[in-house]
Amino acid sequence: MPSIQHISREREAINDTIRAFLKGRGYVEVETPLLVSSPGMEPNLSPFETTVVEPDGTRHQAGLITSPEYSMKKLLGLGMERIFTITKVFRNEEELGGTHSPEFTMLEWYQQGADYRACMDETQEMIQQVQTVLRGESAEGGVVQGDPMVRVPVRDLFLTHVGINLDTADTAALREACIRNGIHTSEDDSESDLFYRLFLAKIEPQLHASTFVYDYPMCQAALSRLTSDGKYGERFELYMDGLEICNGFTELTDAKEQRRRFEEEARDRARLGKKVYPIDEEFLALLPSVRTPTFGNALGIDRLHMALTARKAIKDVVLFPSRSLFKDS
Amino acid sequence: MASPNDIKKGTVINISNELWSVIDFQRVAPGKGSSFVRTRLRNMKSGKVQEINFKSAESLTFEDVQYKKMQYLYNDGNLYTFMDNVTYDQVAIATGDIEDAIAYLKEGIDVNVVMHAGQAISVSLPQKIQYTVAYTEPAVKGDTASGNVYKDAEMDNGLKVRVPMFINHGDVILVNTETGAYSERVNE
Repeated sequence: MPSIQHISREREAINDTIRAFLKGRGYVEVETPLLVSSPGMEPNLSPFETTVVEPDGTRHQAGLITSPEYSMKKLLGLGMERIFTITKVFRNEEELGGTHSPEFTMLEWYQQGADYRACMDETQEMIQQVQTVLRGESAEGGVVQGDPMVRVPVRDLFLTHVGINLDTADTAALREACIRNGIHTSEDDSESDLFYRLFLAKIEPQLHASTFVYDYPMCQAALSRLTSDGKYGERFELYMDGLEICNGFTELTDAKEQRRRFEEEARDRARLGKKVYPIDEEFLALLPSVRTPTFGNALGIDRLHMALTARKAIKDVVLFPSRSLFKDS
Repeated sequence: MASPNDIKKGTVINISNELWSVIDFQRVAPGKGSSFVRTRLRNMKSGKVQEINFKSAESLTFEDVQYKKMQYLYNDGNLYTFMDNVTYDQVAIATGDIEDAIAYLKEGIDVNVVMHAGQAISVSLPQKIQYTVAYTEPAVKGDTASGNVYKDAEMDNGLKVRVPMFINHGDVILVNTETGAYSERVNE
């Protein structure tokens, strides 16, 4: 078990290095609200809900953000070119241990005028700088040593490990690949579900080295710009030590498509019996003012801390592990 | 019908009429699309362990099973007989239903017999079982230095386990029934 002193020194070094790196590249650090009226529309996520009460008794439905994305994109729409935030985000119904926590720290940054490739370059440079600083910091060792980062399109991973070509594979081909590989499926599986089943069973276990996985099928990247051949969405994820560290996009800035997506997600939430939040109209109104391309990336600081120190649980990289905060409930 | 979101460790799921008990599970969500529950399951008959990922929206059939503490009495050809030490009720389970457990059984040990719909369908072993070493070669000087720190040993029920060099004939040890590996020496 690393000591409290050690964890706090490491975390400070990580945050300081990230801040210095991004500020050196002309990014402005911004603060975004944690308490909002529309905390997130993703069907998978369960925001913490609360009520804002004014002195006259007026009540407003509210929640804690699951990501600072909407606020960040509003700032882009209002003309900010390069912004980042290091913030707490909250997701209910998450595990209280292992690689999950209901409250965790996220770095999110955006740059107008640049696409996801520039973002991968920047992410890689930033993490390598953090590695260098941490190595100097860490007397107890365990820092991932000079792990070179590789980049592989999702298409190539599927060719190698599943034996299908995503350029042409349809839902039926994905289902057939699941069956051939002995992977459990469900009758109502969508293309996206089948893709993810294959990804979980055949691809993720292969991602040992630090790997940027990029160009996702459209069903997995609805809000990113399309690649030039129109077949994939410009989305990437970085895996380190088998963990998802970040998720980046060349952002789609089409308000109409975004609204359609919100409405679809609201329907999904209703179907799953989850609370449906109002669409953030201010966000939709500002979205068309964001330039194309613009990249955005969300990076889990706790997980980066874990990967860089080769620790396997969030409790070993934070000062107040969630399990110790909620022992008896 | 149950939801994968209700899965806990030990939950028994019926998949195509085979019962699987949940060893481990984790909820995972991709950036877009449905969320999933990743599970590691043990087949209650064959003992085979498999990973299956369920979509949260799937509907599953959970089975209600009871674990009844019973003593292993004897093996008679294809049948293994266990007895409830309180009621003296006896149940017999066929070889095929307890494949993975057979090597660990030793007359007189307590196991949990898995009861489903009034029938004994399998057994669940304690995580560690105590055995007496029936045979092992004495340690040879120099073996430890060469890095060869484990040796073969046979337990009093015929189970074969790799044990550390310092273990001798007649020692009592604990064996992990999940991995088949030596766990520790018991000082009596």
